[in-house]
Amino acid sequence: MKRRFIVKKVALIITAIAIPLVAAAQISLGGLDRTAQAKKQHVELLTDSLQLTANKPQDVELRFRVEPGFHINSHTPKDELLIPTVLKLDPGSLHIAGEQYPPGQHFRLQIGSGEDLDVYQGEFRVMLRVQAPKGATTLAGSLRYQACDTAACFPAKLLPVQIAVTAH
Amino acid sequence: MGRRLAVLAIMIGLVAVLFWAGIHNLRHRRALSQVPHITLIPASPADDNSPAPEAEGAELRGKDAPPFTLTDLSGKQVSLADFKGHPVVVNFWATWCGPCKLEMPWFQEFSSKYKGQGLEVLGLSQDDGASPRDVADAAKKIGVTYPILMPDEKVAKKYGGVDYLPETFYIDRAGKVVDVTAGAPSKDQMEALIQKTIAAGGA
Repeated sequence: MKRRFIVKKVALIITAIAIPLVAAAQISLGGLDRTAQAKKQHVELLTDSLQLTANKPQDVELRFRVEPGFHINSHTPKDELLIPTVLKLDPGSLHIAGEQYPPGQHFRLQIGSGEDLDVYQGEFRVMLRVQAPKGATTLAGSLRYQACDTAACFPAKLLPVQIAVTAH
Repeated sequence: MGRRLAVLAIMIGLVAVLFWAGIHNLRHRRALSQVPHITLIPASPADDNSPAPEAEGAELRGKDAPPFTLTDLSGKQVSLADFKGHPVVVNFWATWCGPCKLEMPWFQEFSSKYKGQGLEVLGLSQDDGASPRDVADAAKKIGVTYPILMPDEKVAKKYGGVDYLPETFYIDRAGKVVDVTAGAPSKDQMEALIQKTIAAGGA
């Protein structure tokens, strides 16, 4: 009786461990088909929390990363038809006194006569001047961007921004 | 007792096979991801002679081109059916798409070069929310005079969603999709596709 219980328990534990592992392996690098690739985000938010001194204006940086092989327009693209990268925040109880985007990098689109672009690639940081009351809150908003690779572009997307802010 | 051990052994064996398959799959996908989006990105579009990249609407190859009626920049209704008997290039583009704007002058050049063989080029704007005037200004700046049609999401869906731009459908005289490209091909590739489209579907 006891032996049967142990056998069942071992089988259950093995199954419980193995199923999530196998599932994780299947989806970790995308059971994503190409349609999903086209629809997925090409920018990720690297900053998930901020620790501040309460009631004191201070500079903080929000870090983002563009997927390798892609670029997004900077906040000030060269052509007025291009869609700029823009961060829109709901300050809530925070006071945001200012925001500063980094300068773009030069990127030459090598098709036909070519075009010089002003873009973000890899990691980029948006600086904010923030004042927070004592306690915990969330800085929420979205980053609007439009990504391209060397031969094609994706429609503009919104990346949700959710950052836990704690002020002591 | 022996039976229970056999069942346990089978279960362990099964889980081990599943685990191995999962790890193998993960390694395989990681290896593939070292070359990101290879179907979309010709390394040097201008002089690359490799086949044109695959498109979302690639499943339309060899099938009848989905019919559509859209409004041109002057407000006139234009249908794909109006061009029956002509080879037609249907190019989805947008004013915010750099590669689109760089390849469009080639479509303009080829629409003149192959006019005698009946070639028609249609530019289907994907600028949701833009006014016809904005799109017209952009088309003028790019230097194209072929018909530009205003967006309709339903048409894009019929053509596979058009999730990235430019996406181009080459349609023969019989109304069948000869080829589909996503991303800007080289000029030589584009001309070869146009010639293939003109040659297909009978004279």
